[in-house]
Formats: sequence, structure tokens, C-alpha cells
Amino acid sequence: MLKGSNIHKSFGDLEVLKGIDLEVAPSEVVVLVGVSGSGKSTLLRCFNFLERINEGSIEVDGQVVDPKKHKLSNIRAEVGMVFQHFNLFPHMTVLENVIEAPMIVKKMKKADAIVLAKGLLDKVGLADKADVYPSKLSGGQKQRVAIARSLAMEPKVLLFDEPTSALDPELVGEVLGVMQQLAQEGMTMVVVTHEMKFAREVADRVIMLDEGRIIESADPVTFFENPSHERTKQFIQLVD
Amino acid sequence: MELLETVWDVFLRTYPGFLEATLITLKITAVALVLGTILGLLFALMKISRSKLLQTIANLYITVIRGTPLIVQIMFLYFGITSLIVLSGFWAGAIALGIHNGAYIAEIFRGAIQGIDKGQREASSSLGMTRSQSMRRIVFPQALKRSIPPLGNQFIITLKDSSLVYIISVPELFSMANIEAAQSFQSLETYLVVGVYYLVLVMIFTYLLKLYENKLNVDK
Repeated sequence: MLKGSNIHKSFGDLEVLKGIDLEVAPSEVVVLVGVSGSGKSTLLRCFNFLERINEGSIEVDGQVVDPKKHKLSNIRAEVGMVFQHFNLFPHMTVLENVIEAPMIVKKMKKADAIVLAKGLLDKVGLADKADVYPSKLSGGQKQRVAIARSLAMEPKVLLFDEPTSALDPELVGEVLGVMQQLAQEGMTMVVVTHEMKFAREVADRVIMLDEGRIIESADPVTFFENPSHERTKQFIQLVD
Repeated sequence: MELLETVWDVFLRTYPGFLEATLITLKITAVALVLGTILGLLFALMKISRSKLLQTIANLYITVIRGTPLIVQIMFLYFGITSLIVLSGFWAGAIALGIHNGAYIAEIFRGAIQGIDKGQREASSSLGMTRSQSMRRIVFPQALKRSIPPLGNQFIITLKDSSLVYIISVPELFSMANIEAAQSFQSLETYLVVGVYYLVLVMIFTYLLKLYENKLNVDK
């Protein structure tokens, strides 16, 4: 579904990703962990082409993406992204946030987009907030709207960049709940998070990044109970 | 007290002509603002575009206009254009004022557009929007709202700057005051009266702007 081969990414002299190989199967939930600066968010942003890779290749749904040849907007429409700071559109209501991309990008009729959006808002538990502006929502509600907004484009893969890091602790659960539900429905997901409980319970595979390299990749039980790399053991002790 | 009485006399004597001149001042300001806003938007978009050529053109325009006095620009345009085509003083003045404003308004728009959090652009990109869709639907509407207070300020400056077109004999408010002052020898009183005209216009405009800003805030 999503495949990165030998991904290198530098910012100036700083090499953040030093040859990442990662393949995500359909319906697979991959959780990326690692200390800050390990490159996990950068990797996610490369998968969404918000950052251009310096070397290597990225395949989406079996097709190698060449930023020079392909229209990135078309590719991005298939790879959804949920951001740490939600990035909802403040000048639009919740409903308008969700229907915007289907209407503008997919040229969907407004009436159809509204039906779609209402269904998605219902799914994330916010059907009653459709006509409210984002500024009136809690962080957890904002993030759930952002998830609904991404889902409205019916992406093949959904990327989550620390979706609960900006939330008050009591609001984390509602967002993780929605994500867990999506995983159960078979959504392909790549999640950068510090929520180890989520990694344990929802992930099919947990991957540890360290200084721009993948140093551990295993199912959650093996990852947490019997990690092979010393850095992974330290990391788990630190966060668990 | 005596001064107040003569000021009152001057006011009563001049108001038919001054009100007519006020209308011309308002018209020239309106034309300049429409033109300035269009030019400002155009040059702001050029300045943030990825084309080096467009950026250079925009920078050149802004540098030249901001670096030379408005009164020179008015004279330059008046004598420059009227040597090519027939153009009334009113239109020459309005166009000069519009071009002048365009440079400042371009910087207002550019600042507002660049001040929008880059997460907004990233979110719209990640949803599959193109650069221009994202600009049109997401970034610009937010930037426009942020531009309103500085634009209002610029509009007030334009209203007052319109007095400079007296130099090419447009019969606006300040021109009329000059003529009146010269004929009546009541310079102090006349300029006091005309000053009050501008003050009242600015106050009305400020009030309308405030109403509009409040309405925008209520909507949000």
C-alpha cells in the first residue's frame, strides 16, 4: 500500500533520515516510535510529500511517485494526514471543514458531500457540532474533526503525526478511541505517537527509529517484551 | 470667541462649494482605493509567487513607489500621461493615488498572507488541494480578514493624501480651500474649516470600519 525504499532526507547539513526501508501492507497499522529528533515525524511528512526526499523512492499503491512527473495533489488526495496541531480551517464551520476537499478536489456535489460529512461526523461522535466553528471546540473534538476531514477524501492510507501530543491528558482517550475504531475497520495507518498503550493494543507492528534509521521492527508483544536492540530497551523503560 | 464667529461665518459662506468638493474628494479616494486594492493584490501575489521574474517586478514597483514622494508621482503621471492621451486631472490624480496605494496595500496583503500559519497550507495540501486552491479557499480568506485593520488605516491615509491632487487643479476639498483662502484673505479660518471637514470624514469612516470589524468578530 505504502512503500519507502532507501529514503534519505537532509535539512542543510543535517541528515535526518539515513536510508529508511518501510513497507506498509493494506489494513496494517504501523506505529513509529523514537525519541524526539529521531526522524519519525520527518518520515511521515515525506510519505505525504510535504518534504521532498533527497534519495530513495516512495510507492503509493504500487506506483512509484516522482514529484517531478506526478501531480502531487493527486497523490496526496490518497494519503491522508492528521496533524499534531489539528490545522482545522478556522474560517469554516466543522461541516465546511469536512466538505471542502471533496467539493474542491473531487468536484463532489455539495449535497453529496454534506451526506458524506454528516456520516463521518457521526462516526467520530460530533454530529451535533456540524455548524460550530473550530474555535468553540476542545482539542479532542478538534482532532476528531480533523480525522473526519481526512476520511472525507477516502484515503488509502492515513498518517497520524503525534495526534494526541497537543491534547490535555483527559482528552487523549477520545481521539485514540476513534483511531482504534478505524484500525478495526481495516484502515491502513501509520502513526507517530508516544502513547505506548495504543501501540501495544492497536498496532500490528511497532517500529523504533533512532538517529534516522530503523533499529527495531516487530509485533507489539515482541517489541515490548523482548526487544533486540539496547536503545529500544532503554526507550521502553523511559516511556512505559 | 471672535475667531469662532468668523470661522462660523466662513463655514456658512463656503459649505455649498465645499460639500460639492467633498464629493469629488470622496470619488477620487474611492477610485484610488479600488485601483490600489486590485494592484495591491496583484503585486502581493507576484511577490509571493515562485517566479523570480514576477518577484523582481513586484519588488521594483514597491521600491520605486515607496521611495518617491506622492506629489512627484502625481505630477509625473499627470504630465506623462496627458502627453500621450487625453486624461482629466481627476483621472490622472485618481490613478496616481491608486498606483501609490497599490504598493502599500501589496505589502499589507503580503504580510497577512505570509502570517497565516503554514499548517493551514500543509493541511490543505494533504487533502489534495493544489497551491492555487489552497490559496483561494484557505489562506486568502483568512489573510483578508487580518488585512482589514491595516487596510482601514491605509484608506484613511488615502482620503487625506487625496488633498495633494490640488497641485493638478482637481477641484477637490483642499483646492477649494486654497481658492477660498486666497480670495477672502481669511486663510486661518478657511483651513480650520477644511481641516474639520477631513476630520469628520475620517471619523465617519473609522466608525464604519469599527462596525464592520465587530460584525466580522461576531460571525466567528
